[in-house]
Amino acid sequence: MNSTLSIPRFVLARLRDGAVVLFLVVLTIFVLAFVVGNPVEYYAPPDATQEEIDRLNRILGFDRPFHVQFADYFGGLVRGDFGDSLFQRRPAIHPILEALPATILLSLTGIAVAGLWGAVTGVIAGVRPGSIFDRVANFLSVSMVSVPNFWLGLLLIVIFAVQLRALPTSGFFDPKGLILPTLTLGLVHGGRIFLIVRSVTFEETTKPYVMVAESKGLPFSYVVGRHILRNAGVTIATTVGWEYVRMMGGTAFAIEFVFAWPGVGNLMIDSANRQDFPVLQAGVILTGVFVIVANIVVDLGSKVVDRRLQPA
Amino acid sequence: MRRTKTILVVLTLVLAACQSAPAPTTTVGSGSEATTATTAAAGAETTATAAPVATGEGIIIALATEPSTLDAQLVNDRSSRVVTSNIVEGLLFRTPEGEVAPHLAESFEAVADDRWRFVLQQGVLFHNGEPFNADAVVFSINRIIAEDYETQRTSYIEGLLGAEAIDEYTVEIITDGISPVVPSQMTSIPIVPPGAGADPGYGDAPVGTGPYRFVSWDRGQQINLEANPEYWGGVPSIPAFSIRVIPDAQTALAALQAGEVDMVLDLLPEHAPLVPVFVSTPGPEFSYIQLNSYKDIFADPRVRQALNYAVDKETLAATIYEGHAQPNDAQHLTSGMLGYNPEVSAFPYDPELATQLLTEAGYPEGFTMELHVPIGRFLKGNETAEYVAAQLGEVGVIVEIVLTEFSVHREVVRIPGPDPNSVDSRYGWNSNEWFDAARYSGFFTCEGGSSKICIQEIDDLHAQASSTNDQEERNQLYQQIWSLLHENPISIYLLQQNLLYGLSEDLQWEPRADDEVLVSTMGLAG
Repeated sequence: MNSTLSIPRFVLARLRDGAVVLFLVVLTIFVLAFVVGNPVEYYAPPDATQEEIDRLNRILGFDRPFHVQFADYFGGLVRGDFGDSLFQRRPAIHPILEALPATILLSLTGIAVAGLWGAVTGVIAGVRPGSIFDRVANFLSVSMVSVPNFWLGLLLIVIFAVQLRALPTSGFFDPKGLILPTLTLGLVHGGRIFLIVRSVTFEETTKPYVMVAESKGLPFSYVVGRHILRNAGVTIATTVGWEYVRMMGGTAFAIEFVFAWPGVGNLMIDSANRQDFPVLQAGVILTGVFVIVANIVVDLGSKVVDRRLQPA
Repeated sequence: MRRTKTILVVLTLVLAACQSAPAPTTTVGSGSEATTATTAAAGAETTATAAPVATGEGIIIALATEPSTLDAQLVNDRSSRVVTSNIVEGLLFRTPEGEVAPHLAESFEAVADDRWRFVLQQGVLFHNGEPFNADAVVFSINRIIAEDYETQRTSYIEGLLGAEAIDEYTVEIITDGISPVVPSQMTSIPIVPPGAGADPGYGDAPVGTGPYRFVSWDRGQQINLEANPEYWGGVPSIPAFSIRVIPDAQTALAALQAGEVDMVLDLLPEHAPLVPVFVSTPGPEFSYIQLNSYKDIFADPRVRQALNYAVDKETLAATIYEGHAQPNDAQHLTSGMLGYNPEVSAFPYDPELATQLLTEAGYPEGFTMELHVPIGRFLKGNETAEYVAAQLGEVGVIVEIVLTEFSVHREVVRIPGPDPNSVDSRYGWNSNEWFDAARYSGFFTCEGGSSKICIQEIDDLHAQASSTNDQEERNQLYQQIWSLLHENPISIYLLQQNLLYGLSEDLQWEPRADDEVLVSTMGLAG
């Protein structure tokens, strides 16, 4: 169905779908926030009386019925108003925007490392199945996928920062601070990418055209470059894209936590603990937008590659 | 289907955008005002710009959560206080032994039933050059008690009506009737300058009279401060320091071990053996299981005494808290606090006496009770609840533990004692920041918001203590109350928790019982 759409209409259709998803996300988070508990209990001192709690509820608008609160919130959203942080006394979107560049930097660098590592080693392993390289790479990748990502991060901290004192333990005070968290993300996600790329590549090598090309006397590297990569390329790109979505959905936040990275992940964990819902919701929405856009870009990319694969 | 979806999306957006403006939210001033230039223009900076304070010149302190704001008058949270207690000061100061001493005020006395007079130091300046004087005090008091300011520090402003400047360096605090806790309150209400304090951006760039002044705030990372060269109390020896946010306890430990930070606050008990230098002190936090004496099972004081005898607190402190706590003296107070009764001490572990008392009270077979515990709120809270449940089980009392999320827990435990829906018991910690028994009168008076008991004699004693400014008299009265509360316990009195800190080898510092981290009292060896 997709291949019959021109690119602009394709993007529009995907944006429209993304808007629906986003709306559902906003609604879900709002419902969860409503159900979980009243942030006023965090805001007020421990021995506040019922009158004080009621007063705060009234001032913050929490005593209005659900649909009124939601309509109010959604109306604000469309106008670009995410409400004010309950604790920072400034618009909720501000801390998110401050933290977003750090998260984008970390996640993009992380997926770049993961993609490069996973794709390159995956292709090599795929065309040389059973070799030592393949077996070692396989073992490493399966291990990376199996261990908890924060544990891996802590392990790297202990080795490189505490024992060797070569890198900082945490934070983003200079570019060196980017190395360990990126490495962690790269290893964890690269492992999964490796496994898929290897499998796809291997599958390509079993296809008849490979034997035909080889029998024609074409060098193997040419075959790999020209044909195998082309055909597997779509799957590789899609895999990387999906891993990125997966990263933003959880790993990135865990890594941010471990490495005290000043990004949206830490901010959202902190807001969740404090029940600062406006900030939390703003973070979820912006992250959601980012992921949806990333998804569209990946799909667009694979669509373009797909096009070029159409029979000439 | 495609078309329907598109129409739906567009319709929703149009409808939403056509809504009337949302209800005004509570903010101090409107967010679009430009900040004035008088305060430090540093404000909030974007990430990855400021370099950390080099350990050679200053120190770095690791903290688990980032302050929400640096406006010390506004919030209760400890992470904010760690920073601001070095920047702003009160008229009075709490010594490490718990006494109230002069600070920005040279002397003070109650001059009327509703007035306390403070004589101020002269020649003190705020970090931005504004003068410290009676006008600044009046401004600060009015600022924190203002209704629309909505401070979260409501206990600190209880009973305060305002302030009046008598002359340039004399000010009177006006109270609603007799308020003997004003001196305590004045150790904690920070004095802010009238100019910078009126700026809505004050919380991003605080200004005070303290030994350190604010330099910059890298959101999500670090807050940087430097020594105040004009500090009236003498320039501190450490020239600068930073508070670094490291949420994960393991990472904070690693940072201390790697020499990246000089101090870790909120150290986990299991990390104590792993840090270069470990220091601890008994803190102002008291754990307890409050018992609802309005419930039939708890109506008889002997039952509540029995439960106190049934729990082995020494073992609790030694095992679950790994020695970083000790049984409290069956009071929500410790020595150094007003009202602490040195004659009252912890109930010894005596399960036979417990069984005997239960039988005498009419429960030879024991009974069942619910214990409400907030999830994740207190260190080892779940483990403690299970431990206590096991111990009570041995004397025949079956405990059903009800674990709930903190805000839900709060809502439920707030239901007044006589109400049939009120809880049987709940686990909690108190932190007595006033160092004064009056702070938690809400727990033992009939009308107290947190109280699940009503004893007329106690109410009378408390009323007497609240109507006099004679601190020694008040001390005696509260001691009597806690003696009565030993025979008629409001809780299973559990532990006094220690404050745990990890230090680098070079850092010299004596921890304080009130958990204040004052960098001006620290030194660097070598």
